Amino acid sequence: MSRDSTAGVLERVGAIDLGVWQVPLGLLAVAVLLRPVVSHDLMLGYPQVASSFLIWMIIVASFNLLMGYTGLISFGHAMFMGIGTYSVAIALSSLAVPFLLAAPLGILFSAGVAYLIGRLIAHKGEIYFAMLTLAFAKSAHFVANYNPGGLTGGTTGLADGTTPAWIETSRGFTYVVLGGFRIDWYWAVAAVFVVGLLLLWQLVRSPFGRTLVAVRENEALARSMGVNVRRYKVWAFTFAAAFAALGGVLLEINNQGATLSELSIVTSGNIIIMAVLGGANYFFGPLAGVFVWMFVEEYLTDFHTLVLPLTEVPLLRIELTGVLAYWQFFLGLLFVVAVLVSPREGVLGLAKATVARLSARIRGESE
Amino acid sequence: MSDDVDPRSAALGTEGLSKHFGGIVAVDEVDLAVPAGELRAIIGPNGAGKTTLFNVVTHALAPTSGSVYLGGEDITDVPQERRPHLGLARSFQSNELFAELSVLENVRVIAQTAAAGTFSFSLLGDGRSVRAEAARDILARVGLSEHAATEATNLSHGDQRRLGIAMAVATEPSVLLLDEPTSGMGPGESRETVELVQSLQDDLGLTVLMIEHDMEIVLSVSDRITVLNRGSVLATGTPDEIQGDDDVQDAYLGGVREEL
Repeated sequence: MSRDSTAGVLERVGAIDLGVWQVPLGLLAVAVLLRPVVSHDLMLGYPQVASSFLIWMIIVASFNLLMGYTGLISFGHAMFMGIGTYSVAIALSSLAVPFLLAAPLGILFSAGVAYLIGRLIAHKGEIYFAMLTLAFAKSAHFVANYNPGGLTGGTTGLADGTTPAWIETSRGFTYVVLGGFRIDWYWAVAAVFVVGLLLLWQLVRSPFGRTLVAVRENEALARSMGVNVRRYKVWAFTFAAAFAALGGVLLEINNQGATLSELSIVTSGNIIIMAVLGGANYFFGPLAGVFVWMFVEEYLTDFHTLVLPLTEVPLLRIELTGVLAYWQFFLGLLFVVAVLVSPREGVLGLAKATVARLSARIRGESE
Repeated sequence: MSDDVDPRSAALGTEGLSKHFGGIVAVDEVDLAVPAGELRAIIGPNGAGKTTLFNVVTHALAPTSGSVYLGGEDITDVPQERRPHLGLARSFQSNELFAELSVLENVRVIAQTAAAGTFSFSLLGDGRSVRAEAARDILARVGLSEHAATEATNLSHGDQRRLGIAMAVATEPSVLLLDEPTSGMGPGESRETVELVQSLQDDLGLTVLMIEHDMEIVLSVSDRITVLNRGSVLATGTPDEIQGDDDVQDAYLGGVREEL
């Protein structure tokens, strides 16, 4: 209900309408600005985590194709990301398959698994679908933990021989070295981020994507008007898995290997929370959710002492390490508030509404 | 009295169509044969099985037994989502909408489906521009043009009823099932809606089956009337025949004849 009305308010207050360029330019802006912003002294002060931000944005945006656009709630989305991560890690460490071949194969494999699971469960009612995704994700975690044939590395995961030769690391920075060129890993991720999310955006604005939205809004009506709801759901599930695996294969290089946490239920839960926190109603909502979540995680776990009123004039020193170690608790609290206030709007919806209200007030006063 | 046309050559026909819920018989051996171009009213007291009949004809519910024919084809086993593509469309008793989408998008996405089939990998281009003109034409027909950009859930009740008809029309039907199109409307608005149905029928050459409670409307606009009672067909005939039928008088119409 608030989607169009928010847009309406923004139009009335004369927010800039970039039309069809809004999303592409927005994605470029995120890719270009994210690193300088997080490495600013007032923010985190270091740039190394910026590539993780972008990768998780791909993963959570892929989840929102299900939740935000199709109305499917999966409790096992990390599985499809983890399949990408493990596929590449196994290919590099055990099979000596190069990354550039392993990555597309890993994405295809993840999509294939999703297609088969989708065919089995996409027609199940909401709660049964959610429970079944949970069960499949649990099974994937079990298999990786069991370490069949020594392929997955069990509880320790895979680290040895999982980094391609063209990746160099020094002093916490990762570089892609191709021929004589050395590119910062961040920019390689940024390029994949922009292209990947442009593809996802095209998917949601296409006739196919608009049908998914109709399915989300009223499944029974869509079916009675001639939509094969089940097939659309299966393919939404498959595409979402492919994009999650795209994030997963990047994560393999970013984290230099695969760990069991990539397949865990907790990770699936975090993906849901980030999407809702950011605002499932918006294409950029998951990106905002990832930013808030990861920023708070990095910032609060790094933040030890609060000095008041200024660092230069330390009248009061408060040790906060003990309190801030509970960062997930604080984020959980924020999540609860977001869901209670408006379950589909999130922080992005809140920010948009606030901007709209403020500029409406300013205009009102100036007239 | 019954239909004198073969259901297998009618625009819409049923043979021995039944729906049981456990021990309850909601639709009982219904034979219908609605010729092309007819406006057929389906009447009957509450619980007579009118909506269930529509649900079984459209395969929202699988029939327990019996057959459904559309334009001479046996469609009994055709899945629900295929039927609009064969020309069978319906509206609902409650206001079923894509609530958060604009009025235009409600109609457009169905027009898109009508053109693309039950499933299509159309991943290119802007979905909102596909069949948008056709959708605007339909909105103009039903008088919702000025609300094209309104979120469907914000429409008045009467406009939501009209949107339901517009969506059914967007499937490009030959046979249209309308489930109480005037429910919840005042007399003036009901009259307008019925006139809308008649003009759609004339312009698009539709066969219409309409569940309707307002007897004044039923008697004035129907070509023929089918009376359901306890799931089975009590009588079928012209408005005059139905008004003169003693069984119908006893079961349903009560004192209406004197009033008219």
